[in-house]
Amino acid sequence: MQNKTNSDVRWMGMPALAVGLIVIVAIALFGWQFLLAESELAVLGMVALAAMAGVTLGKTGLQASMSAAMRGHARSMNIAILLALVSVIFLLGQEHFPLLMLTTTLLYMTVAFGLNVQFGLTGMVNFAGASFFGVGAYTAAVLTNHGAVPPLLILVAGGVLSALIGCLLIVPVVRTAGHYSAVVTIAFSVMFKTFLEVNDVLGGPQGLMVGPMKTFGWDFNSSPVFLGLEMSFYVNYALLGAGLAALAFMFVQRLERSWIGLTLDSVRLDETASACFGLNVVRAKVLAFTFGNVLVGVAGALYGMMISFIAPNSFSFSDSLLMVAIVLLGGMGSLWGTALAAVIVVILPEKLQIIQEYRFLLFSVVVILVLLFRPEGLIPRKVRSYFPNWRPE
Amino acid sequence: MAYAGNRRTIISAALAASLSLSFASAAMAKDTVKVGFIGPLTGGVSSIGLGGRNSAELAVALRNQNPDSKYEYELEVLDDECKPNVGVQVATKLAASRDVVGAVTHYCSSVAMGAVDIYHKFNLPVIVWGAVLPDITYGNDYTEVHRINGTMINQNDAAAEFMTDQGYKTWAIIHDTTDYGKGHNTYFSKYLTEDGGEIIGTFGVTSDQQDFTAELTKIKQLNPEVVYFGGLTPLAVRIRQQMDKLGIEAQFQGASGLKSEAYFKGLSGDLAEGTVTFLEGAPAEKLPGGEYFMAEYEKADFGEAFEAYGPFSFSAMNLLMDAVEEVGPDRKDVTAYLADVQDHESITGAVTFDANGQNTVALITEYVAQDGEWVVWADSEYADGTRTLTGK
Amino acid sequence: MDIGLFGQYLANGVMLGTMYALVAVGFTLFFGVLDVIKFSHGDVLMLGSFTGFTVYIGLLSLGIENPWVMIAAILIVSIVTTAMLGAVIARYLVLPLKSAPPLNILLITLMLGTAIREAVRLFYPDGSNPKAFPALLPTASVDLGGFSLRADSVILVAAGVAVIIGLNLVINRTRLGLAIRAVAQDEETAKIMGINYTMIVLVTFAIGSGAAAFAGIMNGLYYNEVNFGMGLLLGLIGFCAAIIGGLGNIYGAILGGFLFAALQTIGAVALPFASAYKDVFAFGVVIALMAWKPTGLIAERSSDRV
Repeated sequence: MQNKTNSDVRWMGMPALAVGLIVIVAIALFGWQFLLAESELAVLGMVALAAMAGVTLGKTGLQASMSAAMRGHARSMNIAILLALVSVIFLLGQEHFPLLMLTTTLLYMTVAFGLNVQFGLTGMVNFAGASFFGVGAYTAAVLTNHGAVPPLLILVAGGVLSALIGCLLIVPVVRTAGHYSAVVTIAFSVMFKTFLEVNDVLGGPQGLMVGPMKTFGWDFNSSPVFLGLEMSFYVNYALLGAGLAALAFMFVQRLERSWIGLTLDSVRLDETASACFGLNVVRAKVLAFTFGNVLVGVAGALYGMMISFIAPNSFSFSDSLLMVAIVLLGGMGSLWGTALAAVIVVILPEKLQIIQEYRFLLFSVVVILVLLFRPEGLIPRKVRSYFPNWRPE
Repeated sequence: MAYAGNRRTIISAALAASLSLSFASAAMAKDTVKVGFIGPLTGGVSSIGLGGRNSAELAVALRNQNPDSKYEYELEVLDDECKPNVGVQVATKLAASRDVVGAVTHYCSSVAMGAVDIYHKFNLPVIVWGAVLPDITYGNDYTEVHRINGTMINQNDAAAEFMTDQGYKTWAIIHDTTDYGKGHNTYFSKYLTEDGGEIIGTFGVTSDQQDFTAELTKIKQLNPEVVYFGGLTPLAVRIRQQMDKLGIEAQFQGASGLKSEAYFKGLSGDLAEGTVTFLEGAPAEKLPGGEYFMAEYEKADFGEAFEAYGPFSFSAMNLLMDAVEEVGPDRKDVTAYLADVQDHESITGAVTFDANGQNTVALITEYVAQDGEWVVWADSEYADGTRTLTGK
Repeated sequence: MDIGLFGQYLANGVMLGTMYALVAVGFTLFFGVLDVIKFSHGDVLMLGSFTGFTVYIGLLSLGIENPWVMIAAILIVSIVTTAMLGAVIARYLVLPLKSAPPLNILLITLMLGTAIREAVRLFYPDGSNPKAFPALLPTASVDLGGFSLRADSVILVAAGVAVIIGLNLVINRTRLGLAIRAVAQDEETAKIMGINYTMIVLVTFAIGSGAAAFAGIMNGLYYNEVNFGMGLLLGLIGFCAAIIGGLGNIYGAILGGFLFAALQTIGAVALPFASAYKDVFAFGVVIALMAWKPTGLIAERSSDRV
């Protein structure tokens, strides 16, 4: 593996960091325009363009340069990406709908990071992602409607509750492996939605209203004013969503690079062998499952507050499938791949509204093609490098 | 590199836009006004949604052909999939785009319930074309939200009265566990008890259930005179079919969600025969504009039938465009105009909005399935005694 | 509860169980040979029943009205079509992904299921509405108090059981079955012994999909209604049934199918809460069962190689 920081990888004579920054700016501008694009011509053109750019990226050595930048200048690159994201949020400023899309994407990204710990790293499939997302959202609904819990605590509560409900499944999930554990979560997913529908306590099929996010006297549902311009109130949520996604990214990346991550990897690759080497398989699985659910629950709580109305239908088995699709499409265990896939899975069907009833058909065909031609996912996870100085200084 | 190409598309798009604009202004010099339509275009109830969309499209097309109209209308159609989360998203999309002045929205009640807050937040005037849950208009005081069809309250009031008048005494109720089915269960039970009917069993079923034999076996044992189903056509077809399978000899009664051509396509033999259902408003063919609507719909050659709520969608869209013609393309003005709508002519009868924006359609029409189509009760062979309902 | 009513519930449950078992057998077969889950199974079933429906319309327009001829034609055409589709799926979507993470196959077949479902809804004439599947079997019924047993239900259950037994015989008694079991047990060794691996995989997928088509037709004849969404839940339940029984074992699939049907029926009639909770109950029991028997009721005989 390329274990050294290859600062010698150059693309058109530019150092890796410069290339990396240019690409980030280009992607940010592209994303900004894509979120605004409305006519079918523009959307389809931009999708084709992105696909072409993706292919050429690999061909021209730009990709190598890019990954060198990511490896060699991780901190600057991450900061640049976060800055680019924040600038896009402000550029969108007054556009409610694109901001809503963007925030939804960021929250789905957070969810997918959580699921990634579960099956990307540990190999435990979770087909109940939407259910835990729902636990978070319903927690937010109940807490904002009754009682005066500080909203930031509500996010935490969403995560904790989701982890607690996950505990109900711990025994069957830990004891089973592979497809057998899939069925536990599938059964839970169907059960969760049906239960919410037939039980009136949580609003039944009619759903519940969720109160807005309020922090330090700042009402998230009022429009912030920036540089004299009145912004969409979604700017608040988009910023918080970006923060959440960044935090989740950081946590998961740290986890992956730690000894815990190494344990999780080894449990995924061979449970029996890991146990033989003295690794506590049960503890690793419980940890991964719970950690993932916490992230999903927190994202769910914020989603509930943003969307301000939730119903059981929003948390069905097919929504869980969408979340699983994000992780697989991106590449198991690959965080950047997951992020890219979240963008595609959330935004593409929405942008395809122009072809109305045909869009699900097209979407499923696109995913099939991607899986056929890139079975390892869009951005496959790199093989772990075991050299002592593999981490950037 | 991505950026350069991207700019190219923007430029070409801008070029195309300006070209088409200049053509438009040269041809007729009318301003374009955007109006929206939201309904379920995919999923189980998509046939109703597509019928509604076609009707709205027809209304816009006819208006655009009219040389007297002041504006050129452009329809933006969005799909809510009958899911609240998707509905909220598309509602936001529509409400947030500034050039949309109003919209005709939602068949599914749970979706409408989630979306009304959005319309209020963005001040977008909407007219609901099919959702029947009372709370959509009565559960809030949003001036932006109106509804052209009736609620399930009047529907079930009329249904209970009609059925007890026929001499039925005992009912078994099956309802789907969505807001729609539960609402129907609540109101029908309420009015039925007031009218002296007896409910001997109530069963909730999920909206994607295939097999009802367990519930129906229980019903068979209870032996009611009428089986009432509060839910949509796909489930009704299965329930009616399986009632026959288990040999249940009871009158089958539906709600507004049953009045769809799909009911006949889904049932083999003459199982549909004699089923009764109720729909708010007068039947399209009985109104002056109805014949015109049906003829134009036929002429436009849509792939799908306009279904039960097509005429409502058509009327709502026309009402919205009438408002724009009158007060101009401004959301607040349109909202103000809609607040005072009194006896406005439409193909579904005169429209009058009350303080909550609810059209006061007191009229409920009873339908009975006769020879593979829905016939208005008064015109049917059942009313004149040639045929009889089950058990009568 | 009087005996007639009990009989009725039992009859309903057996009917449901047979259908679930047929679907579960497919899952188990695919898993056996390739260790994959083919999630499009339910939608393939739906496609089978729609093919059958199309054949029925075609025969009607040709003027053929003998119900037995019709049933034979419907079964043959739809089973053959679906079996071919199964082989095509295996060849072009499943085998190429064999080296990728196993979940990819799950996802790709899941998406294929969506594609099939959407395609039927969009491109089959008036596909979004339920279709009236003809009642071709004799409908004479025996009434004993609260219990009415119809001839068509009896025929369908008998046919379903016959197909399951037939499949079992094919797997356990024929040379083809031997080859399938060999591939299931050890792919490499099977290849060395001269078994045409690809062929066996394709044939197994064809058989499983054919069984799904049969279940689809059975479903249509029993409920007299088919719709584009019917496969989704059936596939899910079939999968759960195959798992609680124990994957890779035909008896397990049968056991799982009947068990799930029993749970649903009990949930609907014998428990104190409302019947709408029956699926919550059934899936809850599934979770509990998995905690108790993590590899299914009839466990796979396998040992980890360390």
